[in-house]
Amino acid sequence: MEPHIRRTHFLPRTRDGRIAVMAFVALFALAMPPVTHRVLNRAEPWIAGLPFIFAILLAVYVALIGVLIWTYRRGV
Amino acid sequence: MSDVEPWVVATGLIFVYLLITVVLGVVANRRLSVDMEDFLLYGRKAGFVVLYLTVVASFHSAFAFLGSGGFFYTHGVGFWAAGTWTVLVGAITYVLGTRIWALGKAFGYITPADMLADFYESESVRIAVAVVSVVFTILYIQVQAQGLGYIINVASDGRISVALGTLILLVVAATYLVLGGLRAVYWTDVLQGIWMYVAVWVGALVLSYELFGGPFALLRQVAADRPDLLTLPGPNGFFTPGMWIGMTITLSFGIVFQPHLMIRYYTAIDGRTLKLLGATTPIYLMTLYIPTALVGLGGALAMPGLEVPDRIFPELLFAYASPWLTGMILAGATAAAMSTLDSILHANMTVLTRDVYQRYVAPDRTQKHYVAVGRMIVGALLVVGYLLSIRSYDFLVVLVTLSGAGALQLMPAILGVCFPGRRTLTGAGVVAGITAGLVALYVTLVVVPHPLGMHGAIWSLLVNAAIAVNVSAVTTPPSADTIERVHGEIERFVYGAE
Repeated sequence: MEPHIRRTHFLPRTRDGRIAVMAFVALFALAMPPVTHRVLNRAEPWIAGLPFIFAILLAVYVALIGVLIWTYRRGV
Repeated sequence: MSDVEPWVVATGLIFVYLLITVVLGVVANRRLSVDMEDFLLYGRKAGFVVLYLTVVASFHSAFAFLGSGGFFYTHGVGFWAAGTWTVLVGAITYVLGTRIWALGKAFGYITPADMLADFYESESVRIAVAVVSVVFTILYIQVQAQGLGYIINVASDGRISVALGTLILLVVAATYLVLGGLRAVYWTDVLQGIWMYVAVWVGALVLSYELFGGPFALLRQVAADRPDLLTLPGPNGFFTPGMWIGMTITLSFGIVFQPHLMIRYYTAIDGRTLKLLGATTPIYLMTLYIPTALVGLGGALAMPGLEVPDRIFPELLFAYASPWLTGMILAGATAAAMSTLDSILHANMTVLTRDVYQRYVAPDRTQKHYVAVGRMIVGALLVVGYLLSIRSYDFLVVLVTLSGAGALQLMPAILGVCFPGRRTLTGAGVVAGITAGLVALYVTLVVVPHPLGMHGAIWSLLVNAAIAVNVSAVTTPPSADTIERVHGEIERFVYGAE
C-alpha cells in the first residue's frame, strides 16, 4: 500500500494558526541573540527601577504566554 | 518558642513534610487497581490541576531552587534566559505533547520507546531509545539525591550526614512510589509544586525586604554597585550568544524528551487539557526564576565571595531569616528535589519494566506480575541511586555533563513520528543519528567544549539530524501501512476527520 501523500504539518493551515506561529516566532526572536546582546544589553534602571534587560525580557515572556493562551482560546 | 534551636525547627519541618508524602502514598495505594496503566500511567485520567502541578514540579528540580540562585550570583542577569526555555516548554507541550498524547491513547503506548519502535518498526530503535532514556536520567537520581542529602545536612546544621540524609529521602520517595505508583507521585507532586513555589517567593521577598528594603530597592542597589551583573555576557563572559541559544534548546526540548516528562503526556485525560497545560505552564515555570534572581543578585551584594555559590539561598536564610521561615523554605527545597527524584525513579521503573522486562524477559505474564516487578525495580533503583550518590566516579562526572543534552538526541526521531511530511526517517537512520549525535555530544562537551562559542548540544543535534536524514535516504522506510496508521491518526487529531 502506497502511503497517502499528506500536506506537511510543519506549516500551519488555518488563519489563526498562521497568526499564532508568526506572533510567537517574532516575539521569541526578541528574546534571542543578537537582539538580547546588542539591543537589550543595558544595565540602567527602567520601569520602577527594574534593570532594562530584565524588565523588557519579562514583558516579552509575558507576551509569549499571551500568544499561547490566545491560541488556546481560539481552539487552534 | 525562642529557646528552640533553628536546626530543630528546620529539620522538624522537613520530617513533617516527609511524613505527609508517605501518608499520601498510603492513600493512593487504596485507590490503586492491579493494572499496568493505572500503576504506570495514572490510568490516563490526569486532570488539569494534578497534571499542571506534577509537570512543573518535575521540571523544576533542586537546581531551580538552589542552583539558579547560584547562577545569578555568579553570572548575573544572563540566567534570565531561563524565560526562553520555560516558555518554549509550554509551546512544545501545546504542539508536540498533544500529538504524543493522541498517539499514546490510540495505540496504547506507555513509554517513549513504544511510540518510536512502533512507527519505525525497529527493535534497534526501541533498544537505543530505552538506553538513552535510562542512562541519561538515572544520573539525575544521583544529582537529586545528593542535593537532598545536602539540604538535610544544612538544615540539621551538620547533625545528619549527607549520606544519611540521602538515604532517608531516597527511601521515602521509593516508599510512596512503591505504595501508590504514579498516582502517589502525582499527589505528592501537587503538594510539592505548591510548597516549593510559595517557599521560594516568600523566602526571596522576606530576604529582599530584610536586607535592602524590598525587591525594587535590591535591584537598584545591584545596578549601582554591580552593573556587571546586569549585562551580557556577565562578569565571567559565560552567557555568549551561542550559550544563550544552546541552553534555550537543551533545557526545553532536552528536558521535555526525557522519559519522566514524555510519559506525563500519555497520562492526560484529554487533548484539550494538555493544550491548556501547554498554554499556562510557563506562568509557573518562568515566574519561579524571578525570586531566585532576587536571591542570587542580592546575595552577590550581601555575601560576596561565597566558595559554593549554590549555597547562597540557605546561607542567607540562616543568617537573616527566622528558624521557622528557614525550615519552611528548606522543606520547599526538599520538595523541589523530591518531586523530580520520584518522577525519574518512576520513569526508569516504567522503561525497565515495559521496554526490557515485558518485551525481552517475560512477555506473557499477568498485569499483577508486571506491577510486582516494577516495585522490585524501584527497590533496585534505590540501591543504585544511593551507591551513585555517596561515591564519586570520574566517568559519572562526564556522564552528568552529557546528561542534559542526551535526551535531545531523540528529537529528529520524535519529530519524524509527530510531524507528517513528504519524507520519512527510517529505523536505521534514527539509530545512526542517535549514535552519531551522542559521539558528537561527547566531543563538543568534553573533548573540545562548545566549539566556536556554540553549545555542544547544538553541534550534536546538527550531526544527529544530518546523519539521520542521509542514512534514511538509502535505507528501508517504515511500511506504508504503519505510516498511514500513525500519521493518519495525527492528521485526524490535529485537523479532524479526513
